[in-house]
Amino acid sequence: MPQILIPATQTAFDCPPDDTIMRAAVRHGLGFPYECNVGSCGNCKFELLEGEIEHLRKDAPGWTERDLQRKRYLGCQAKPLTDCKIKLNLRDHYKSHFVPAKTTGTLSAIEDITHDIREFRFTLAAPKPFLPGQYGLILPTDVHGARAYSMSNVTADGAEWHFQIRRVPNGACTGALFERLSVGQTVELDGPYGMAYLREDAPRDIVLLGGGSGLSPMVSLVRAAIASEKLADRQIHFFYGGRTPRDLFRETLLSVLPGYGSRLHYHPAISMPEENGGWTGKVGFVHDIAKATLGEKLRECEIYFAGPPLMAEAVMKTVVEMKIPPAQVHFDQFF
Amino acid sequence: MSGQKIELCKTTEVDEGTAIKVEKGDLSLAVFNLNGAFYVMDDLCSHGPGSLSEGPIHGDVVECDFHNGSFNITTGEVVDPPCMIPQRVYQVTIEGDAVFITV
Repeated sequence: MPQILIPATQTAFDCPPDDTIMRAAVRHGLGFPYECNVGSCGNCKFELLEGEIEHLRKDAPGWTERDLQRKRYLGCQAKPLTDCKIKLNLRDHYKSHFVPAKTTGTLSAIEDITHDIREFRFTLAAPKPFLPGQYGLILPTDVHGARAYSMSNVTADGAEWHFQIRRVPNGACTGALFERLSVGQTVELDGPYGMAYLREDAPRDIVLLGGGSGLSPMVSLVRAAIASEKLADRQIHFFYGGRTPRDLFRETLLSVLPGYGSRLHYHPAISMPEENGGWTGKVGFVHDIAKATLGEKLRECEIYFAGPPLMAEAVMKTVVEMKIPPAQVHFDQFF
Repeated sequence: MSGQKIELCKTTEVDEGTAIKVEKGDLSLAVFNLNGAFYVMDDLCSHGPGSLSEGPIHGDVVECDFHNGSFNITTGEVVDPPCMIPQRVYQVTIEGDAVFITV
């Protein structure tokens, strides 16, 4: 089995031939930087000093010609073909609370959440707990490569992982999940991963900002925050945005939670109201709605967000403009 | 405690046009030497896991070699995206041949 050595710190770990260098490192409890896990964000770059690797995704958006010239590869895509010596800075921030593992999941139930978001519930062959807000990799048998999806449930034993997944038009993986996978069938799962998990020790009210595919982790976070004894006196604001009313989920997803309407506040908004569409709620983008609703108080909140690239950029601009301390803001870069 | 002075390194340890990483307590810092003037900022890029002491330096700008965003070394301001949050920079003083910051 290939051995990976980081000479600067004399850190060594084994990487099975069917694993990638970053994932193997994280499974060994090391703080190997990463975020998206699927070749897009570029956070898991390392320099290859010695050895040979194969890059799984040749067209990974987070990997450039310049990187290749400088012998830099993506840890999430790099499969070692020999023993390797690599250079990178390990950071404690990226160490896992629950080290990720591969297993299989059997689809036990499906439920439509909106017109294009569906919840897929998997029962794991080998249970694996995760922190609220984290994600897993799904590898359908008939699709090449892995896709990252955040879990929506809260679990102590990790026996079930639920994913609220937005269908991507012409998407290979969501096509397989929405069209071909039926109850009783299995997929490969790998996880948990991600750093945008619930901080129970943070002494601040909580703001959750979600849009589109970013619903799932926000649902896990709100369920966990409501259930947490440590967070019992916190106000929780859940902002969720869609383009039109049909992009919004049924309010019962949140209204079943204790504290709904008293300390849990739901702020749905749409960005493209139709004339005579009957929408009487808030109109705008979630970051603007959050600013309008909470004003300066936003700076004193713990903020979690997930959503499409334009939303993520807009939220980060708000963070910079309002001088919100970055350590209070949690998200995973998926692009 | 504010106004605390911390010695980081000797001026001779940082060649002109380069940077070194210095760790002091909880601080992980990049110390730059630009034409004999010393500047200090947080080493960890505000955008990702990059070490700015390892990034290429162009004039008074340092590039992060993870996502090719860049910062002004003297002010910490963002020069190129995807970085959006300015780097924290520190007040530097030179005493004899030693580089100090005040925090």
